[in-house]
Amino acid sequence: MTENFGKPINRLVEELRERAKELNCLYEVQETLGKPGIKTEDALNRIIAILPPGWQYPEICQSEIIFGDKVFQSSDFVKTPWGQHSDVIVQDQLAGRISVYYTEEKPELDEGPFLIEERRLINTIADQVGNFLLHQRLQDVFERKTKPDIETKAGWQVILSLLEKTDPNLLITIARKMVHHLCGSGIKEATDLLELFSSAYREDRELLEANFPYQFESDEDAIGAIDEVFKLAGKYLDEDEILTSIQQWIREDQSGFLINTLVQPGCSIPEIINALDRYQHLSTQGLELSAAREQSVRVSLIRRLLSGQKNFIDTAKCHLSIEDFNKLSSHIIFQPGSYGKLGGKSAGIFLAMEIIKKSVLNQDLLQQVKMPKTWYIISDAMFSYIEHNNLEEIIEHKYLDIGEIRQEYPYIVHVFKTSPLPPEIVKGLSMALDDFGDVPLIVRSSSLLEDQVGMSFAGKYKSLFVANQGTKEERLKSLIDAIVEVYASMYGPDPIEYRHEHNLIDHHEEMGILIQEVVGKKIGPYYFPAFAGVAFSQNEFRWSSRIKKEDGLVRIVPGLGTRAVDRLSDDYPILAAPGQPGLRVNTSLDEIVRYSPRKIDVINLEKRTFETIEIQQLLKEYGDEYPNIKQLVSVITQDHAQIPTGLGPDFEKDKLIFTFDGLFSKSPFLNLLRGVLNELQDKLNHPIDIEFAYDGDDFYLLQCRSQSYGVENIPADIPTDIPGERVLFTADRFISNGTIPNITHIVYVDPEQYSQLPTRQDMLDVGRAISRLNKILTKRKFILMGPGRWGSRGDIKLGVSVTYSDINNTAALIEVAQKRGDYTPDLSFGTHFFQDLVESSIRYIPIYPDDYGIIFNSDYLLESKNTIKDILPDFAHLEKIIRVIDVKNTSSGHVLQVLMNAEKNKAIAIITEEDETSEIKSELKSIPQTDSREDHWSWRLKSAETIASMIDPDRFGVKGFYVFGSAKNATSGPKSDLDILIHFEGSDHQEKELRIWLEGWSLSLSHINQLRTGYKTDGLLDVVIITDEEIKNRSSYAVKIGAVSDAAMPLSVGSALNK
Amino acid sequence: MEDKSYNPFKTAQKLFDQAAELLELDQAARDFLRHPMREYQFNIPVRMDDGSVKVFRGFRILHNDARGPGKGGIRFHPQETVDTVRALSMWMTWKCAVVDIPLGGSKGGIICDPHDLSLLEQERLCRGWVRQIARNIGPLSDIPAPDVMSNSQHMLWMLDEYEAIHGAKYPGFITGKPVGMGGSLGRVEATGYGVMITVREAMKELGINIQNTSASFQGFGNVSQYAIQLYQQMGGTPICVSCWNQEDHKAYSFQKKDGFDLKELMSVTDHFGEIDKNKAQDLGFDMLPGDAWLEQDVDLLVPSALENQITGENAGKISQKVKLIAEGANGPTTPDADIVLTDREIHVIPDFLANAGGVTCSYFEQVQSNTNYYWPKEEALGKLDLKMTNAYVDVSKFAKAKKIYMRDAAYMISVDRVAQACRSRGWV
Repeated sequence: MTENFGKPINRLVEELRERAKELNCLYEVQETLGKPGIKTEDALNRIIAILPPGWQYPEICQSEIIFGDKVFQSSDFVKTPWGQHSDVIVQDQLAGRISVYYTEEKPELDEGPFLIEERRLINTIADQVGNFLLHQRLQDVFERKTKPDIETKAGWQVILSLLEKTDPNLLITIARKMVHHLCGSGIKEATDLLELFSSAYREDRELLEANFPYQFESDEDAIGAIDEVFKLAGKYLDEDEILTSIQQWIREDQSGFLINTLVQPGCSIPEIINALDRYQHLSTQGLELSAAREQSVRVSLIRRLLSGQKNFIDTAKCHLSIEDFNKLSSHIIFQPGSYGKLGGKSAGIFLAMEIIKKSVLNQDLLQQVKMPKTWYIISDAMFSYIEHNNLEEIIEHKYLDIGEIRQEYPYIVHVFKTSPLPPEIVKGLSMALDDFGDVPLIVRSSSLLEDQVGMSFAGKYKSLFVANQGTKEERLKSLIDAIVEVYASMYGPDPIEYRHEHNLIDHHEEMGILIQEVVGKKIGPYYFPAFAGVAFSQNEFRWSSRIKKEDGLVRIVPGLGTRAVDRLSDDYPILAAPGQPGLRVNTSLDEIVRYSPRKIDVINLEKRTFETIEIQQLLKEYGDEYPNIKQLVSVITQDHAQIPTGLGPDFEKDKLIFTFDGLFSKSPFLNLLRGVLNELQDKLNHPIDIEFAYDGDDFYLLQCRSQSYGVENIPADIPTDIPGERVLFTADRFISNGTIPNITHIVYVDPEQYSQLPTRQDMLDVGRAISRLNKILTKRKFILMGPGRWGSRGDIKLGVSVTYSDINNTAALIEVAQKRGDYTPDLSFGTHFFQDLVESSIRYIPIYPDDYGIIFNSDYLLESKNTIKDILPDFAHLEKIIRVIDVKNTSSGHVLQVLMNAEKNKAIAIITEEDETSEIKSELKSIPQTDSREDHWSWRLKSAETIASMIDPDRFGVKGFYVFGSAKNATSGPKSDLDILIHFEGSDHQEKELRIWLEGWSLSLSHINQLRTGYKTDGLLDVVIITDEEIKNRSSYAVKIGAVSDAAMPLSVGSALNK
Repeated sequence: MEDKSYNPFKTAQKLFDQAAELLELDQAARDFLRHPMREYQFNIPVRMDDGSVKVFRGFRILHNDARGPGKGGIRFHPQETVDTVRALSMWMTWKCAVVDIPLGGSKGGIICDPHDLSLLEQERLCRGWVRQIARNIGPLSDIPAPDVMSNSQHMLWMLDEYEAIHGAKYPGFITGKPVGMGGSLGRVEATGYGVMITVREAMKELGINIQNTSASFQGFGNVSQYAIQLYQQMGGTPICVSCWNQEDHKAYSFQKKDGFDLKELMSVTDHFGEIDKNKAQDLGFDMLPGDAWLEQDVDLLVPSALENQITGENAGKISQKVKLIAEGANGPTTPDADIVLTDREIHVIPDFLANAGGVTCSYFEQVQSNTNYYWPKEEALGKLDLKMTNAYVDVSKFAKAKKIYMRDAAYMISVDRVAQACRSRGWV
């Protein structure tokens, strides 16, 4: 590979020179063939002279054209073994052959000593010569027609007599079409003729009903009938009509190769692309397809290149034309003999872009949308890569145990990183890099399973940024590095787990690659777009009752869109609803400042890395260069955020935050976005989400797919047959999608009692109690229900005064708007910390218990045992107001589950069996962030529950079993211990046995953890054994039991044994 | 059934009744001051962006204007109630009186949630409010200002509408305007500086040399930053400040045992008043839990973040060294804590005296607007010093003379001043 790049500039110049020679050659051929009145022989002789200078070694190149029985050759022509040939086809028949020979041996290139470009050149020339010859033939016919002796024959008759000699099959085809044409024009006599052409018509269409193979008769009758057909035609149709029809049918026949190539499953991608090239060439010369043929070609192209999915084809065929594929095909990188596709992501963006381009609505606006320069690697290139490196065993890797997969994944990445791509792919990438230049690139996965409607592999496979700086060799190396890493991610544990989860593991999966220019500008050492983000055509997170679902949602950030795509815990994107641009999530200065983005993702061109930097620092240093900055930031004045004046902000002195206020209120951006979302949703027939970026000049569409639901956001089925006593509540306003599984505790603040509290101090106490419960109860296993507005600050009478950190462990925040007299309190929609809720996936549900048809089981909430006294003894005086219900205890081991469905706008909370599988789901939920803590604690807790349930209390003398520390607090990391506390009262022997028994568990869990995370530990359990006495004295770890804060959580002992 | 639920107006009345009892006010004065003098409640129809009309409810309540035109903010709150507005208008009367500025007390509001309104709708709402009440308020009768969820932009829309209705320029109609549009210089510093001016006077009185003192602050917002600035200028040593950390969703206390330099700390603080915890530690700050500010061995504590921060529970953790607490925030000390502090003989400068620098500066803004002549910053801050010093001395003298707690003294002086004005006018 290296020698190609020894002298990159020289090499490039040489390549360009070659291309120029080839073009020159082609022009000369065209010029020669286009000369009016030129004779065939003269033309071919001239071409013999033109060909050699177009080849790489003109001095040793000679050419030959064989046409019928005539041979044209360069002077001193000698046949050598080093030749390149192309057949000349006229009307589907071999008419001759063009050859080029080198007289000396030269180094091996793409095809013997010849370049792949030279192959294309000779094919093109052969095509052109073929056309020329056909043209000459027709001209002869016309010339003859003008001669007085055959003056009596009409033009079309001349053509027919010519066809009779040259292409009888075509003649029959044309005659048949003419019969149909005549029948279609209502000419009765033609119906009789129809029978001659197809005996099927003879037997009263029995053919269609018969259940034995139909015997066709010979075509001889048909040939005999041709004269009759055209006699009839001459009688009823005028000459022009006949001539035009015949011409059209002949042309259609020319395009037969397209159909032949496309419908044959054996045709490879290179063949398809060649056919497309040829079609393009012919169509500039006036080749037209009938509507049916055109559609058939279009559909085949969609199926072969984009997707075989019925839904996709149905939609795509309405929006794509054959020409669209021409533009696409020149940017596809493939290996010879490829049968792959572009993959979901590539197909999605390609189709979306064509829809936008062809949109009639909002045309002026939508025409501004661009797509960054993009190249595609065909999906099965991955297998050619695997074959090239003999890595076949990796293909069955997906059937290994998930633990093994996790263990082997680092090894796979290593192997991939050290295995070279096949040379033809490398060559393609090299071409792509020349096309891109040295702008940063993003390498995205585009797998076949990805981005299908209803599937979301979002974030499962990798997308990698490449700075693309340095010499061509360096750039190519890092691009290849990124590509193989994306390949390797197909064998990562997370996507495989996801495929298991969705029954997709047996589906064939291939990984196409999308290489996209990163939209942006260079500012200082950094490269990034002015802003980027994601937008959804359906708004799932409404922060005001005035926002409708159809108003959409946009998450937008300065710089690269990565920060808008991911949920971040320490930073926030700006949210807006394109359909309600005026209604902002945050309105007071306090909120605006708190929820403004503080960091920005960029590519550092000098260090060639992806970086996250502080926005303030960037603005101080490069604020003046930041594109469109006046529209993006606001200046904080004494008490509000203001769009900068015409002078622009002062980057030294002004306090600036990103609000995008100017962009939203003074530019057509949101209109444009809304136009794009509506158009795409409308044409694709399902809700969509897009990624976009803006570089200061243009708006770019980066991705489009069906609106993805994270695992936790899949619309839930709402059951209707649940007995009333098992329903806790229903809700039917502003519902989003998803399921909240396995809730074990309900914290209910009784609106009635709360409103009766006599002092403000009492109300603040309620807030403090909630805050304490939030720390004690298991994360995401409890819900908070209370009156009016959670988080009320000034006037706390109608809502508990809490901040986000007081509620951040709840699974859902539920606001109850109970009617008081004749008025229903306003709900907050979580606005006080709306964005925090969104970013941490805490669900918000408003309940209007007095609405018609709403169930609100206040009996259950008010009459179930209140455990607040046990959990928070120092807040026992609030037991009338705050009720903490242990769902498992009150409903014989059942849990609460909240099902939400936005389409139906319905939610229901039911008491039900614990759902084991949802545990897996909730673990999967966190997969995109690989270092998330969520998957570490929940399985630990689950394991602790299992151990407790399997302890035989009599055998081991165990009186109680508790879990505490990180697993209980949901803060476990990959290396964390599982802390358990055992209340023991037994003999020394029992204690010994217990310890051995637990040791076994400890080692097994440690092994499981190693498979899951790769971390090795000496046992996972950290066991503390305490006695009655210690509990009595509250000494050592015994204080953890029933502690006010961070109490150990009791688990039920031996429950599995009882069953 | 008697409604036992919390009612802010009843609470305010109860507080007044206690002061009235101590002041032995006659019945007429009590009746007069227990209720606002005038209340306006009205509908504000607003044309929404989608063409529909929504009707909002607006209020303006003037509690008392015996000492001068009413002064008080306009709140935008979805759960606004007339009792809240009443209570707050009364509170404004006492607040203006304690710093002895010639203004009365009032308050206004609109039941609305700005989260549900576009800016254009908010503008129409502001103008609609003024249109309904324009004849009943004005620079010489009742002067609005920004409050919960309202800001200088809303004030300018209201001013513009008022001026359009009355056909002339009245910059004194409203306060809280931006500098250059009728606002006063010194406004950002006013509250923080005001707190420290009262601290300076208190130390003088307690016989403490401020240069030998150290202090700990809760919160690092506007109030705290300027309070620390002035404290440092006067020679004091700030050693600890607590600050909210957004990333961790909790507060931390940043401490330097030998004292820190505000400028140094500001260099690691962003625009939003958040201290970068890593950079601060690089500068040698110790990072402690959020409530550690309270436990420092210092002479002065300045809670200037939220209400209810010093409680009966944690008051015991206050160091024996602490001699003075200046309440920069509103209501940072609970009644339980007050008992502990009184026992410990810690001198407390109550909130509505300590943080009255803000309302004093609003008064200055009004004066400047009415004369259409704007003072340099030094002049505004000099006049602030004079007002705050006098206010402190008055309250403190009275507290000493009567041997009562500072909070009660401040309250009694206010009520007495207002009652006296009513009597002088021959109202009661």
